[in-house]
Amino acid sequence: MSKVKVAFTLNDQEVSLLVQPEERLLDTIRDRLNLTGTKEGCGVGECGACTVMLDGQAVNSCLVLTAQVYGREVRTVEGLGGEEELDKLQQAFIDHQAVQCGFCTPGMLMSARALLDDTGSPTREEIKTALDGNLCRCTGYKQIVEAVEAAAEAEEVD
Amino acid sequence: MKNSQRNVSSRPKASGSDFEAEKENTQELGREVPVGSADYLAPETLNKALEYRSRYGYKAVVIAGGTDVMVDYFEGLTEVSSWLDLTKIAALKEMKFGPEEIRLGSMVTHLKLATDPRVGENLPLLAEAASEMGSWQIQSRGTLGGNIVTSSPAGDTLAPLLAYQARFVLGSVSGQREVAAEDFFTGPKENVMNQDELLLEVMIPVSRERTLSRWKKVGKRKAVIISSLTMALLLELDEKDVITGARAAYGAVAPTPLRAEEVENYLAGKSLSEVSAERAGELAAREISPITDIRGTVAYRRQVTRDITVEALLDMQQG
Repeated sequence: MSKVKVAFTLNDQEVSLLVQPEERLLDTIRDRLNLTGTKEGCGVGECGACTVMLDGQAVNSCLVLTAQVYGREVRTVEGLGGEEELDKLQQAFIDHQAVQCGFCTPGMLMSARALLDDTGSPTREEIKTALDGNLCRCTGYKQIVEAVEAAAEAEEVD
Repeated sequence: MKNSQRNVSSRPKASGSDFEAEKENTQELGREVPVGSADYLAPETLNKALEYRSRYGYKAVVIAGGTDVMVDYFEGLTEVSSWLDLTKIAALKEMKFGPEEIRLGSMVTHLKLATDPRVGENLPLLAEAASEMGSWQIQSRGTLGGNIVTSSPAGDTLAPLLAYQARFVLGSVSGQREVAAEDFFTGPKENVMNQDELLLEVMIPVSRERTLSRWKKVGKRKAVIISSLTMALLLELDEKDVITGARAAYGAVAPTPLRAEEVENYLAGKSLSEVSAERAGELAAREISPITDIRGTVAYRRQVTRDITVEALLDMQQG
């Protein structure tokens, strides 16, 4: 198969590379561009560990062909905050102990970020709906929902 | 500025030899779509897409949101010899709300259906079904056309489309044809489409009558589940609350989504308050032809079909 040239914006950085037509965005991000915050869980769109933002919307990067993101904007967990200043969501996850093993956390953060960018002060139900597609097997969700609520409040204050 | 765009400094940056090797070519690439390779076709116009479809047929796997296709080919992605990506075709993403009919492009996403107030107002069954589909991530990517073309008996938009008497517009290089939703599905994941055709639009006639409708999805959990069964029930009523038209559509209870004609015939012509919800429910349970699978047994599906039909009618009677 011939490779496809793809250029897109990844965490505000322009990237361009040649990909196989069947290459998944998840693999491009992790294996080719070395951003391993995004995780692979089920690989079939059920667990949400691979969630990234595509033009501001939460998507499963395991179900997107890299060639499909040509000219579009992708944001991964590495595009949220850095070591010096965490995103308010990241800080809230720490404060509320919403992280246990941590495998689901990047996906949770990206779904929650897409929600907060779209809806400034979501209700608890809206938060639960936005996180419907993200499985966590450790924390039991309560802390995660509380963390998102706290981050939303903190951002309203700003 | 969106919150996600803050904190630009101190982030880990994309790196890697593949990326670096291509970096200097960025300028040459411009913003054009990667068309031209037979392995990955991403046309921007419908005509071009139909031309590719005519030339490659089933050899090129059609992909839209990818939420079904990428799962079907999970672990077998390298077996795909060619892709036909429809995501660049703006014409397929339009929605038109006319006085006579509503036209929904095949590339309209479930998220759009779930959140656009025009859909909620005019096609509540479809808006509700879309809002309960998969997860936020699936709704962002998955399309109405994809749900139709995949033709799973459990496809969540299919019972609503049957209840709305939708017609599907299929296009090829030699022209277009319309197929009624109830004639489109021929078996589990089978439909009447030819290998040179693409689904372009869904046409839904605007009802002149006052309508009542109820959507019900039953599954083992609310999110990210393949439905055990679905129901879209729609009644048209005159000014005296007499049922002038009834459409009872069910999903995941037969090889294809189906309309329960005995239920519809029973309801039509009766005053809403006179209708026996139990009788309608029993007719529905008899008319479906479910199978036993991991999502439910035959007995379960008949019982629940009866129950949700009764519940919906009682709810409508109570106004």
